[in-house]
Amino acid sequence: MPRRSILALFSLVLFLFVPATGFCKQKARVKHLTSITGNKEIGQFGLLGGVFFDENKNRLYVADTTNNRILAFDSDLKFVSEFTAGGALDSPTSLVRDGRGRFFVAGPGKGRVLLIDIAGKHTERIDFSAVPKANPVHPGNLAVDSEDRLYVVDKANQRIVVFNSNMRFERQIRVKDGRGLSDVKVGPGGRIYALNTVDGSVCVFDARGKRVLKFGKRGTARGEFRFPVSLAVDRKGLIYVVDQHMNNVLVFNRKGEFLFDFSQLGWREGRLHFPSYIHINSAGRIFIVDRQNARISVFE
Amino acid sequence: MIMYPHRIHTYYLAFFATFMLSVTAPCMANAKNTAVSFKKCLTCHPDIKKELPQEGAHRPFKELQCSSCHNPHAAKYKDLVKEEIGKLCRSCHQGNKGLADKKHGHRPFEEGECLACHRPHASKNPRLLKEKDEQLCFGCHSKEGSFSKKNKHDPVSKGRCLRCHSPHTSDHESLARKQSSQLCVTCHSIKKKKAQKAHLGYPVEGTNCMSCHSPHGSDRKALVKGSLHQPFARERCRTCHNGLSSQDPLGLKGKGASICIDCHPEIPEDFKKVNAHINQGVFCVACHTPHASDVGHLKKAKEAKICFNCHEDTKRHTRDKRNEHKHPLLKEGKCSPCHRPHGSNFRLFFAADEINVCTGCHERHAKFTHPVGKDAIDPRSKRDITCITCHNLMGSPEQFALRFDRKKQLCIQCHKGY
Repeated sequence: MPRRSILALFSLVLFLFVPATGFCKQKARVKHLTSITGNKEIGQFGLLGGVFFDENKNRLYVADTTNNRILAFDSDLKFVSEFTAGGALDSPTSLVRDGRGRFFVAGPGKGRVLLIDIAGKHTERIDFSAVPKANPVHPGNLAVDSEDRLYVVDKANQRIVVFNSNMRFERQIRVKDGRGLSDVKVGPGGRIYALNTVDGSVCVFDARGKRVLKFGKRGTARGEFRFPVSLAVDRKGLIYVVDQHMNNVLVFNRKGEFLFDFSQLGWREGRLHFPSYIHINSAGRIFIVDRQNARISVFE
Repeated sequence: MIMYPHRIHTYYLAFFATFMLSVTAPCMANAKNTAVSFKKCLTCHPDIKKELPQEGAHRPFKELQCSSCHNPHAAKYKDLVKEEIGKLCRSCHQGNKGLADKKHGHRPFEEGECLACHRPHASKNPRLLKEKDEQLCFGCHSKEGSFSKKNKHDPVSKGRCLRCHSPHTSDHESLARKQSSQLCVTCHSIKKKKAQKAHLGYPVEGTNCMSCHSPHGSDRKALVKGSLHQPFARERCRTCHNGLSSQDPLGLKGKGASICIDCHPEIPEDFKKVNAHINQGVFCVACHTPHASDVGHLKKAKEAKICFNCHEDTKRHTRDKRNEHKHPLLKEGKCSPCHRPHGSNFRLFFAADEINVCTGCHERHAKFTHPVGKDAIDPRSKRDITCITCHNLMGSPEQFALRFDRKKQLCIQCHKGY
């Protein structure tokens, strides 16, 4: 065979093969940045509840459930302060902060959501008396929207209870065809995202509460959940779901199509062990409560 | 020599014929040799030869097509079978294509262990079953419990398990052939006066018979289960249900779980915890039966069966053959010695923190163990070491349910430089 032909054939193979292997190697779409762990200054973390990033103050707040406190970290994730609301906190789990600077903290042990106004130095319980109920409200995770509405997961009635900015009961969003409601977030455009752990479904509602999308199920195939416990939505509308038993995070597009997952079981930095909650700030930083490792793992 | 076209054609045909003969003749010779060689199998395997005359012999076996299942030279699998048993059988026995899509599967079927129940060559029992009727089922399933009670369900007395159960898969729990409300009425009419009187006039058609009755056996009349909810025992149905004159007699009087809490006011405290198994409606009946049960605390079934209804991935994990090392309580189907089913302020619904939940039973380990607790920090995660830092009691391939091989992996997870 002439030398020129051999060279041409070799070049063709190289041209096809090398880019193919390059495409096959997946670039890391999400990288681990750092972890927030207990230390001498703040002591050991107990059982951790939720986290919330206050965009106005550039502060990350962490609910330390066992130690009845909320810890504040700055944008460099350095510890700033802790507060206990004068002893009013009792096993705080989820927490959020609205545009007016008011904290809302769920305390399922007392069946209540506390409003903590640090500036006004007062604390009050959100009034559930106007909320229609079969079972007493059992508050789970919380969310706020851009108009300071508060969204409360009511596990005992498989619904999201919505309070207006004056903390008056506004409406309820029943999450029908789902079992084991566990988390809620408000995403771009005011869409409401609800996660059902037992049947592994994500329900998306428009701002009026009409369901516009439902996706996800439990199973063993790629993109299916084993035990989803929390979800978050980034500013592009990508939906991140924490799977506690797979110890990873699955990412879906706006249509609910599976895109990729990241992380795995482990104890070292960047790995997760029974993660329980996720929050994403407007800069795209992903904060995951790595519960069994007693830390907050930060990705971006 | 001049080659005329018709001669080229003839020579071409002759060449082609010779070529084909040379290719096919050895194959035919081999085929003849193959038939002879499988008869040769019986020369070395005389015990198998005795099974041949049996009426119910497996067809490939009867026709001496040994190579349908076995490789005569070498194979990866025991007894020189060509493939994993489950895959091998399914290569011919595809059966009803929807079989594998059903919700519940008999474990040997799901795990491809067809030979747990069937003989591969011949059997005096129909469908190549190893044993007849209940003798086969009781080879794995205990005869204790409801099977040993004074009054037995007729199919149980006659060993006819398959009257009610499907041996492979089913869309219904416990591999029932139909939903309970439809299965029982195929034999038992509940419209007769006697049945209506026994149900105190309530229209029970379409309800779950097993809420009250044992399908296998009971010491009580009418196969009613052993432990009774007090209102049920006293025939005070109206404690929870509407009256017979109501438009919906079986409807419940109260809303949600208040119907249970009204009599059990101490229970809600169990749910006022950081982690709580709380749900909508009368969620108590997710785990408990309001009528009768053969399990303590009026549970609907054995603990693990109830828990695995929702924790299906945990069920898969514990049943994975690779995870052979697990806590013995799990093998007994017990969850509540370690986990609190109503609620817990500890991680993973534990009854106590991750050390005390273990040392409550493993007392020796409380005094003699690798350092654990707040003064022993895992260098990987910077949190305190507990029992479950090293052990995964839900199932692990490693001995003592350790997370890593204790001889070459476990210690160096933390102790570097050795």
